[in-house]
Amino acid sequence: MEPGTPLSADRFSRWRWLWLLPRLAFALFVGGVGLLLWMSDRTDREERRATLISDVLWLEQNLRFHLARNEELLGRISRTHTGDPVAFEAFARSLFGHESGLRQLLWLDPEGMVRQAYPGTMDPSLLGDTGETVPSRQSQRLARSIGKPVYSRGYPYYTDDWQFEVHVPVSHGGNVIGIAVGIYRIRELLNDSVPWWLAERYRISVVTDGGKVLGTRSKVESTVVDEGYQVPFDPPGWDLALHAVPYHAPRPAASLLLSAALLVLASVVLWSLWILRRHVLRRQFVEEELRREHAFRKAMEDSLDTGMRARNLGGEITYVNPAFCRMVGWSAEELVGQKPPMPYWADDYLDQTLSIHDRVLAGEGPGEGFELKFKRRSGEIIDVLIHETPLMNSSGTHFGWMGSMVDITDRKRAEDQARQQHERLQSTARLVAVGEMASSIAHELNQPLAAISSYCTGAANVLRNRHGDKEVVSALDKAVEQSRRAAQVIRRIYSLTRPSDSQFEQVPLGRHIDAALVLIEPEIRKRGVQVRFSPHEQVVIDGDPVLIEQLLLNLLRNALDSMWDTPAENRIIGIDLSVSDGYAALEISDRGCGIDPAVAEKVFDPLFSTKPEGMGMGLAICRSVVENHRGRLTFSTNPEGGTICQLLIPLPKP
Amino acid sequence: MSAPDSPAETMSRAIAHIIDDDVAVRDALQWLLHSRGVESRCWVAAEEFLAAAGQGLFGCCLLDVRMPGMSGIELFDRLRALGCPIPVIFLTGHGDVPMAVKALKDGAFDFIEKPYDDNALVDKVLAAFAHDDARAAKATAASHLRGRLALLTQRESEVMQQILAGKLNKVIADELQIAMRTVEVHRSHIFEKMQVRSAVELSQLLASLGGDPPA
Repeated sequence: MEPGTPLSADRFSRWRWLWLLPRLAFALFVGGVGLLLWMSDRTDREERRATLISDVLWLEQNLRFHLARNEELLGRISRTHTGDPVAFEAFARSLFGHESGLRQLLWLDPEGMVRQAYPGTMDPSLLGDTGETVPSRQSQRLARSIGKPVYSRGYPYYTDDWQFEVHVPVSHGGNVIGIAVGIYRIRELLNDSVPWWLAERYRISVVTDGGKVLGTRSKVESTVVDEGYQVPFDPPGWDLALHAVPYHAPRPAASLLLSAALLVLASVVLWSLWILRRHVLRRQFVEEELRREHAFRKAMEDSLDTGMRARNLGGEITYVNPAFCRMVGWSAEELVGQKPPMPYWADDYLDQTLSIHDRVLAGEGPGEGFELKFKRRSGEIIDVLIHETPLMNSSGTHFGWMGSMVDITDRKRAEDQARQQHERLQSTARLVAVGEMASSIAHELNQPLAAISSYCTGAANVLRNRHGDKEVVSALDKAVEQSRRAAQVIRRIYSLTRPSDSQFEQVPLGRHIDAALVLIEPEIRKRGVQVRFSPHEQVVIDGDPVLIEQLLLNLLRNALDSMWDTPAENRIIGIDLSVSDGYAALEISDRGCGIDPAVAEKVFDPLFSTKPEGMGMGLAICRSVVENHRGRLTFSTNPEGGTICQLLIPLPKP
Repeated sequence: MSAPDSPAETMSRAIAHIIDDDVAVRDALQWLLHSRGVESRCWVAAEEFLAAAGQGLFGCCLLDVRMPGMSGIELFDRLRALGCPIPVIFLTGHGDVPMAVKALKDGAFDFIEKPYDDNALVDKVLAAFAHDDARAAKATAASHLRGRLALLTQRESEVMQQILAGKLNKVIADELQIAMRTVEVHRSHIFEKMQVRSAVELSQLLASLGGDPPA
């Protein structure tokens, strides 16, 4: 799976780039919303400030208006009021009644002496500005001299308040008859003239130039965040200013709600993005896994030598793999969708194929697989071994049949060849054995018959020479005749069983030994016998290859059979091939049981065997073959135990 | 049978050597040959016969093809290898045509299958005797001739070559740079030693030896 990694990393990086889009969009969204909130907040603040300014300006206007009206009212004081304390009190009360802010009214004569006062208490602590007596002499003089109302500086009052005075000169007939002094207390002025709705919103204070607060109108003790707004409060003059500071106004609930909603929404978006990303990543991973798995399976399937073919329950081909296509020669497109009979069914075996096909579809196919003959597109017939198994889907429903197919043409051919070769060998061996038996019998019978015939002929000759009894001679002749007849019978039987005349040709002995070893290789392996074959020379003799093969096989088999009881490590067959004195010399040595001296003379006799199942023809055949090749076959005792068989066959004359 | 007394005696007496492992066959054959006046000798094994074959053998061999140990065919090959020219008649209990053909090609006198017509076999043996006798006579004559040639001196041999080439005495004298008289003396010596009377006779005699006469 390694090769897939760089590819997927590449793919991931592309995806990462794609992932930037939602992130960017999210950041833009959050930024936009923040900007919007900030801007609306700023607009709001500016609006509030504008309101504040206009409110303060209005307040100042309003105060000025009050002060101006009070000036005018003060100016209306007359002798009727000043002369009588009761009248003065009435006048004063009328002034105080209009929320004028006035708290005390004094009447001074032109010299500045207090003539009337309401409320009359003259608190000695009431000192005018800069240490002068109340009312302020300076202001009084100024008012008298210019004939216009003059305001005094503010000064502290014992109730922790600050107060200031207005000196209004009153003239009658061109002469100043006195000065009406109105005293304002700043806190009370503010209390009187600042309307409630304004006091709700602002903390209003009067401050001096130096920032000293002289009086404040405030509803609650509440924190202020703003520096507020300040306008000069000039009619009283003397560097006073009106200062309004807005209370910390609670933000509107809708805005808060909006912000909170936006925040929640943003986090939901963020969360869902994260979830989505995780999901996509997991999905991507699974896809990648799937792709890899698929690629692996595909590669596996393509490289398979076994043909695979799937069929549905109706027998229609639904899938074939490349190996199957290669085997039969039709392409997958041509095969998929085909219904029986399939194009690759061999024509001569159609019925058989169809019956197996039907059995498989009926679920009765042979479980251990079956062999069939298929046809390639080229018409060539191939042998195949097929295994069919039911196809199940994930829920366990049977929906078709999967068949695997192996081309066993070559194997079968090889098996046939091996079987034929084995049969040929067997039949050759049988023929040679039968021929040998017949030959042996013929020899064994012919010997005494020949002797009989010779004796009789000799006797007849002697009798004739001596002119003996003619009848005896005749009988002897007849005896000879009968023995010849018997020999004829034997000859006829022998000629029937005799193998066809052997054909002599050049036989490379070394190669024939190799071939014989290959033929009995399975037995050699089974018995764990070591074979040491050391051909010293390339030896070629004139001979019959079939008979030579039989000869070698018989000798090697004897060597093998003799070592049944030999310990496994000693099971060695030595083969030595050399040339000496015009003969090919072959020595086959074993470490077997050896030849019992008692039977040594009989080993070549037909039907003599030391093996339980032996037919007793092996060595007889060997002798015949050797004789046939003018050679010689002898046995001697192996000094290392066992037997050495020595075979001499003359080399062809140059 | 007894061993030959002397080489001369052996030459005059042809013997059929019977080599067969079957004692009955041996005995019957000897009886048969004896009934026709043919002398024979039996050998039990090929090896035994081969040991005795170093001496001059005359007559013929009756060889059984199949014997324990050395087979008849092998014995035949060995005899030929030893340069023993005695005619060999093979007897076989199981005729094998290729084997027979090969044996005959290699110079066997005959190849007879058992059972055989016994008197025909004896005739074959006699024919083999005659063949061997003729061969022996020829060999004897050749050896005599060689003996005569050996008597010639070096110079006489040279002169004889010239005579056989059909040259006149004068030419021979010139070529050998000797006197004509000397050539005539040599010529008479040669004729005398070779027991011939003319150059033609000499030429015929040497031709019967086959091949070139020894220089």
